[in-house]
Amino acid sequence: MYTLTSVTRTYQNGSRTVRALQGVDLVIEDGEWLAVQGRTGSGKTTLLQILGGLDRPSMGTVNFDDRDLATLPETRLTEFRAAFVGFVFQTFNLLPTLSAIENVEAALVPRRVSSAERRARATQALEAVGLGDWARHLPSELSGGQQQRVGIARALVKEPKVLLADEPTGNLDGDTRDEILALLERLWHEHRFTLVLVTHDPSLAGRAQRVGVMSDGKLAVGPGA
Amino acid sequence: MFFLTYLRHELRLRMRQAILIALGLAVGIGLVVTVTAASAGVENAQSSVLHGLYGIGTDITVTQAPHPGSHTGGAFSPGSTTQQVDELLNGQLSPLNISSVEAISRLRSVAAAAGGLTLTDMKLTIPSEGSLGPGGQPPTNLPAPTSFTVDGVDLAHLGLGPFGSGEISAGRTFAASDESSNVAVVDSNYATANKVTVGSTITIAQTRFTVIGIVRQPQGGGSADVYIPLARAQALGMGPGVSNLRNQVNTIYVAAASASAVPIVQAEIAKLLPSATVTTSGSLASAVSGSLATAASLISDFGRWLAIAVLIAAFAVASLLTMAAVARRVREFGALKALGWRSRRIIAQVMAESFIVGVVGAVLGIALGFGGAALVDVVAPPLSATVAQNPGSAPAQNTLFNGSGIQHQPAPGSTSTVIVHLVAPVTANALVLAVALAIAGALTAGAFGSWRAARLRPAEALSQVA
Repeated sequence: MYTLTSVTRTYQNGSRTVRALQGVDLVIEDGEWLAVQGRTGSGKTTLLQILGGLDRPSMGTVNFDDRDLATLPETRLTEFRAAFVGFVFQTFNLLPTLSAIENVEAALVPRRVSSAERRARATQALEAVGLGDWARHLPSELSGGQQQRVGIARALVKEPKVLLADEPTGNLDGDTRDEILALLERLWHEHRFTLVLVTHDPSLAGRAQRVGVMSDGKLAVGPGA
Repeated sequence: MFFLTYLRHELRLRMRQAILIALGLAVGIGLVVTVTAASAGVENAQSSVLHGLYGIGTDITVTQAPHPGSHTGGAFSPGSTTQQVDELLNGQLSPLNISSVEAISRLRSVAAAAGGLTLTDMKLTIPSEGSLGPGGQPPTNLPAPTSFTVDGVDLAHLGLGPFGSGEISAGRTFAASDESSNVAVVDSNYATANKVTVGSTITIAQTRFTVIGIVRQPQGGGSADVYIPLARAQALGMGPGVSNLRNQVNTIYVAAASASAVPIVQAEIAKLLPSATVTTSGSLASAVSGSLATAASLISDFGRWLAIAVLIAAFAVASLLTMAAVARRVREFGALKALGWRSRRIIAQVMAESFIVGVVGAVLGIALGFGGAALVDVVAPPLSATVAQNPGSAPAQNTLFNGSGIQHQPAPGSTSTVIVHLVAPVTANALVLAVALAIAGALTAGAFGSWRAARLRPAEALSQVA
């Protein structure tokens, strides 16, 4: 699915040049679960954003099913995200003025599905994460764990090929963290999407098929537990 | 439609912020509406001054200032007997040939043109040499000189000019057959003061005129004491160095085909008669003194700049508030981009919110504007406008005898003071302007904010601290 070749990402931070990624080579297979570990600032999030088409490499190629995300025009990259990629964020990034179900529906807006189908699929996705009864609530009326469930429902409602999760349990307490992790694991087993999960939590990484460790922009991948 | 759902939720849950921005716009818009209304009110007041002087139907007047050095009347020197002088004088204005009236009436966009002669009848007694006291002092029992203004009326165009705006309160108005008759219509104020009634006789230039009617001019109006047929005024009037004013007029009253044609007609007449003074209600401002002139310059100078300054400030405040509001939502836009939303869709969403805010701002602004205009109506004192009877000329002068000899002073009635009440109307144009400005302001503000946010790379947008 993904083939990354010599991917380098540098950016300017004032007068300092930051090398977030330095020559990363990586192959990710269809339906694989890859965990990426590393300290803060090691380049994990940058790697995830490049995989999701939210950022482009300064050098190298990012092949996804025969398209190079590094050179894809902006509109095609937007379409790529809309069609194939679901994101789960550490801070949830829900739209504060929309209800849970409307947040999930927002993911289907670029897919041009009828409003009835959109509502039906969003309802289904919320039920799948156990929030069927909370559809009408605003994010501010939900707990952290519930908000992340909405985030996961939003990421998966369009049945993406890839789910990219950036510290999905980073803002949650212990019990909730385990619940979310169990939910992700169950959904991965059910839907067999490709899951790339960035975390600095070793217990989370332990469940993945393969574990990569980022350090100073370089990636070393080994087998999972 | 998701677009509307999102729009509705955004506006409802961020209502305070939306109302704040709308209020900011509304203050600017309200002031623009108020100033526009006030300046329309002043324009109306100016045109009512013009109509008070020259009649309701008159849009433009044409006069010509006297040549420098010419002056009224001749010198009178005491003779062997007492002399009674009664002359109808054209002092204030240079005569214009009657052909100018025809030329003007042939101009396109001119509905009608009429000539008029505004003259002063002066009666004075020159004492005989023998009756002079020591040192040439006039005798104490000498009657005081008197004068009144006489207006020669074009009987073919009774509706034009000052006579036309009056109302006949007794007797009758002129008929076409009166052209060469010695008949007069007298202003009601003059009639009361001098005990003149229909059927009385008055003397103008040693000629007896029968009063056929009394005319009451609207408040503030009334430029002449006595109206007589133009042909009689031409025959009896005298100018500097001429014994009659045949084929001469000194004021031309013009009715334009439409209000919008007034400036065009004004320009055409100015080309036709380069040395003439062409007065419209617009150009009257410079000829008017009194509180109306002060109000006019206050509104055109201070008011207009104040409105522009407040409008710019309102736009700036609305822009800054919108940009701040959008900046707080950058992460939200990053999340939408991650979901595959196009920048265009995000911009459209923000612009739609701004548009609604603009509409609300327009409605609030118009309400404020109506309030402001009503306040102007209530607060503005009655304005007075003092204007020379014939703008472009010096006021007529009377000749006076007293201990120090012959003196000149402004003749009564040579200037006219018109009292007008300032009513600030909120016009349809002002409302359209208000709506356009509010929406333009809100959209500008929205464009500033959303453009920046939407152009941000999603990775950057997501990394913004909420």
